[in-house]
Amino acid sequence: MKARLFIAVTALHAIVLPAVAETNFNTHPRFEINPELGVAGDFSGTYKHWRDPSAVEQFASVQTDSSNEWMMNGKNMDIVEDDFHPGHLAVDEGEKLVNLWEHREPGFKACLGSGSTDLEGIAARYPLYDEKLGRVMTLAARVEHCSKKVLWKNFKQGSPMNANITLYLKSLSNGQPIQIAVDSGPMKEAYLRGETLFYKRVGQLNFACASCHTPGSIMGNRLRGEVPSTPFGDVSHYPTYRSPVGEVEVLHKRFMRCLKQMRAKPLKPGDPAYVDLEVFYTSMSNGYPITAPSIR
Amino acid sequence: MKKILIAALAVTLSACGTVQPVKNKSASVSPMKFPCLSYSLACGNIPVRKPVKKELEGELSGNIDEGRKIAFTKKRGNCLACHRMKGGTQPGSRGPDLTAYGSLKRSDEETYALVYDMRWRVPDTLMPPMGTNQILTEQEIRDVVAFLQSSK
Ligand code: HEC
Ligand code: HEC
Repeated sequence: MKARLFIAVTALHAIVLPAVAETNFNTHPRFEINPELGVAGDFSGTYKHWRDPSAVEQFASVQTDSSNEWMMNGKNMDIVEDDFHPGHLAVDEGEKLVNLWEHREPGFKACLGSGSTDLEGIAARYPLYDEKLGRVMTLAARVEHCSKKVLWKNFKQGSPMNANITLYLKSLSNGQPIQIAVDSGPMKEAYLRGETLFYKRVGQLNFACASCHTPGSIMGNRLRGEVPSTPFGDVSHYPTYRSPVGEVEVLHKRFMRCLKQMRAKPLKPGDPAYVDLEVFYTSMSNGYPITAPSIR
Repeated sequence: MKKILIAALAVTLSACGTVQPVKNKSASVSPMKFPCLSYSLACGNIPVRKPVKKELEGELSGNIDEGRKIAFTKKRGNCLACHRMKGGTQPGSRGPDLTAYGSLKRSDEETYALVYDMRWRVPDTLMPPMGTNQILTEQEIRDVVAFLQSSK
């Protein structure tokens, strides 16, 4: 009897030990995210607060408690009745640039629209796989590409010109639900790489994006002043006008800001790793309407 | 006068000449020495440093006041980002409350080893490995531990 118990106990040990040995110190534990669900797959339980403007208004009382504000996912900022925040000036600036350059070099708009000069709604389908170029393109990459190809200029990703034009294009899809397909081919591959990056521990502080943006992590907890929120629904309001610094911030610059906090090497806007992360992030906004221009 | 000059010279020389990490101030370490997201830079292939269970050698001999400073300063320990601590304002809320850590009667050895690298106990921990990743020097960790033990 005693011997049996002993065996049972050692057997238990044998189960526990390999599990510990299997810990992958290079990654944060993964979550099941179903890419087919898009924004509705939100794992934070906060989607009900910000799923549409009426929910945002209904749950606006949540904001009165600062420790709950993260549950609004910032979307309470989208219903403020300020139609004249400087994000609108950036949109105007972007529109002026596009029209000016189209006038000088006809073909700029057609390049931005992948053949069509009607630019309404295109932003909701980015990032996409461009068969002719043979690579996954973000909207900002399209702007850079067309500036080089048609204008012989370089509206580099991360530059104010690129940001303003990207924001203008995004504003032409304002209110339209994001819709990208990540179920096959190069887009699926990019999604899977982006997902892997999201869980990769990087930097001196040994954080992954998931360390602050998944359930059970720092998400929803005060990190001194700030509370990290869900990654679902984020890309719908990028590029965004950042009032504390008074400039338009593109998504890749926000990635850089988080990476600096993590004391990890920040990569440049347009970096292939950021493109994959953007595909992953965008799939988590699938079905959510674009808000552009926005203010944060 | 001459003496001061020589002393100053000695300090400058030793500051330039030493290869060892500075003992009483967190030396800033390049982010390139740690894993990054890049597909092309060398840091993209660096693995995470393995967990270390560090033994405390000799007496703790930490400085409580120095430890408090380190724990509260964002660029140094920044423990307040996740923990409530004695005398600290605007604390974070993810980690356990450490305001009365000293009353728990944990040993210096255990506390030192946990702050040095929590992962030997909690493999998936969110707490940065302060010693293993050179966020704090050994002396700084001693100071922080002294501060924790004094918090009652
Ligand atoms: C140490 C914690 C931390 C880590 C690690 C972290 N972030 Fe963040 N992140 C924050 C905080 C805090 C905010 C601001 C609050 C919010 O919107 O979530 C934020 C905001 C963001 C936003 C903007 C959200 C919005 O609605 O405007 C994006 C996008 C983002 N992070 C992406 C990332 C990515 C990608 C990574 C990994 C490379 C990452 N974060 C890692 C703390 C973190
Ligand atoms: C990013 C958040 C974070 C930071 C920063 C952080 N910790 Fe922690 N700490 C934790 C968490 C979470 C735990 C609980 C262990 C676990 O589950 O990972 C913990 C546990 C501890 C414990 C063990 C407490 C117990 O009762 O067993 C000590 C001691 C500690 N931390 C000290 C520190 C000190 C000192 C610093 C600053 C040098 C620090 N921590 C910085 C998150 C953090």
